[in-house]
Amino acid sequence: MKKKKQKVNVLYYVVVGAMALLFFNFHTVSFLKGIFYSFTDWKGYGDWNYVGLRNYLHMFEDVDTKNAYLFTFQFTVITTVLVNMISLILACALNAKIKFKNTIKAFYFLPYMLGNVIVGFIFNYIFANLIPTLGKACGIQILSTNILGTNHAMWGIIVVTVWTACAFNTLIYIAGLQAIDIDVYEAADLDGASGWKRFRYITFPLLAPSFTINMVLTAKGFLMVYDQIMAMTEGGPGTTTTSIAVLIYKKGFGGGQFAYQSANAVTLFVIVVAISIFQLRILEKREEQIR
Amino acid sequence: MKRKVLLALSAILLGGMLLTGCGKSNEIELFSSKAENKEILQQLVDEFNAEHPETKIVISAPADAGTVLKTRLAKNDIPDILALGGDNNYTEVQSAGVLEDLSAENFTSQVQESYLQMVYDVNADKEQAAYGIPYATNASGVLYNVDKFNELGLTIPTTWDEFLDVIKKIEAAGEQPFVLTYKDNWTGLCAWNSMAPDLQPEGFTDARQAGTTTFAETHQEIADKYLEIISHGQEDFMGTTYDDGNKAFANGQGVMMINGNWAINQFKTANADFNVDMFAFPASNDSAENYVTSGVDVLFAASKDSKNLDVAKEFISFMLEEENAKTYIDNQFAFSAVKGVEQEETTVAGVKSDIAAGKVANFPDHYYPAGFDLASLLSEYSLNYVNGMDNIENQKSFLANCDEKYDIANVD
Repeated sequence: MKKKKQKVNVLYYVVVGAMALLFFNFHTVSFLKGIFYSFTDWKGYGDWNYVGLRNYLHMFEDVDTKNAYLFTFQFTVITTVLVNMISLILACALNAKIKFKNTIKAFYFLPYMLGNVIVGFIFNYIFANLIPTLGKACGIQILSTNILGTNHAMWGIIVVTVWTACAFNTLIYIAGLQAIDIDVYEAADLDGASGWKRFRYITFPLLAPSFTINMVLTAKGFLMVYDQIMAMTEGGPGTTTTSIAVLIYKKGFGGGQFAYQSANAVTLFVIVVAISIFQLRILEKREEQIR
Repeated sequence: MKRKVLLALSAILLGGMLLTGCGKSNEIELFSSKAENKEILQQLVDEFNAEHPETKIVISAPADAGTVLKTRLAKNDIPDILALGGDNNYTEVQSAGVLEDLSAENFTSQVQESYLQMVYDVNADKEQAAYGIPYATNASGVLYNVDKFNELGLTIPTTWDEFLDVIKKIEAAGEQPFVLTYKDNWTGLCAWNSMAPDLQPEGFTDARQAGTTTFAETHQEIADKYLEIISHGQEDFMGTTYDDGNKAFANGQGVMMINGNWAINQFKTANADFNVDMFAFPASNDSAENYVTSGVDVLFAASKDSKNLDVAKEFISFMLEEENAKTYIDNQFAFSAVKGVEQEETTVAGVKSDIAAGKVANFPDHYYPAGFDLASLLSEYSLNYVNGMDNIENQKSFLANCDEKYDIANVD
């Protein structure tokens, strides 16, 4: 039997339409323009010509671009792994029957409410003043200088990024944990699975959907890392912490390489999409196998 | 109902546009690229407006002025009067051919030749015409703690050897010669900008642009001396920020700092009694070669198609009047390009005579292409030094990098 078409309230169209219009105007159009300009030699103003694929080919010869990609991938892999490990541990701990659970949860969630730039500035001060003073007082050589002014500046940024990113990921894991039926645990208990075994064979497999989401979201976010770096090192010292997004901003707007960096941005977009799809495929397959 | 709201909204919007549109006929726009001088500029503009009731000058000083100006250039919407730095933003506007040639005006002769020459140098094809009238200038060199200099019995060095001697004496007395703030990597440029004009061969910037010379061939001495300077910096100078370094310096840490007159305001905020002065960086052993690095901080230009060109010229002439020029530089700790207007503030007394005598050289990085990020290269060079990389190897790769990056920026 054919269902009678229900009349849809016009309001839905108005709301969705208005958003779609705004989104299309300010996001999609700019994105398409960016793709368009990546085939030109536009400086951000003035005249321009088509240059075909020159910008894309030039990327392979540019040391700055190469270094930025290397840094970004390194940063993404380390941070993604750390964030997910720590969030998972935190979530399990916070899901246990402990006292002051909600207060502690609030503490962990706090960094998420602060903007990345503010967090960056706060840690800038901590790294520049507090930690060196502490390091000198304890006589620890490695801590007595500002880490952001050394070769290891990346680790300073990683610490801050992990600290901020854990909040949201922990939340997703907690939600996942709470969705697991208590009966399953009881059954596991009866069968004698506890501790690590229970986590390995019950909790983790059942958390698979949360794990997938977190992996994809964090990897995507860290590939586009920008605000922490601008707040803390502006890509320095030298170019040691210049991520792709920072490079695009610096050279695209400050260095008159608008078109070339548009090409870079398009490439970054393709890479992010590719990695996300790849992750989704692998992780979803894993989810299915577990079931 | 919905339609009514929409109608009302659009009526308000439209009305707003119309309102801002009219009443503008006798308004003249002064576009300023410097946020720091807005108050004093407004004060002078108010005086001018009071004397000229028939017109009204309105200042617009947007954030990220360089980019705003470029977009307005693209729309062919040129402000009547422009107050810009003597850098590539000016070059951009000037080379678009929208500025009035002010060479023949009376007030142009009131300005120091050396600064006019700096403006000519950044004109397209170095045309010897005054499209911009230099107004205020800045100075970069060695800032020193006067009390400590007196305490240690030091005299102002005028040659490189004397400079090294001073550094040695400071270290012998157990003091730190320099406070360097390389966490903010633009500060690494200051030492370079002070040395390069003294030591680089005549006509280097043109030759480099044409590709007939390289940094590697000509800048070894500068790179050497750069390492010498940072070897006398404080521990962890790579991790010290400009703000923290300024505070520490004003409160008695270190004896010298390599920076410019713009830092003095910060010192005074941190410690109002701080006794500081400045001398020209003695990069060469021939003291006649040791220029004060001084650039055009503010210049005035007028759009040639402006309806109010006469008023614009009158305004520039008004600003160049001795009294007004003095008011401006006193407020800004800056120097004046107007002949006979001297900065009497003691904090910059050491370079005053050189500037008045025109013994100045422009910031060399004003002549490098906009995309050439020397600050990052110098930061990398310094980082490698701190990491204990072999000096010769470090220098070689630094200079090679300079050439490579310059070429990339020069083409694109």
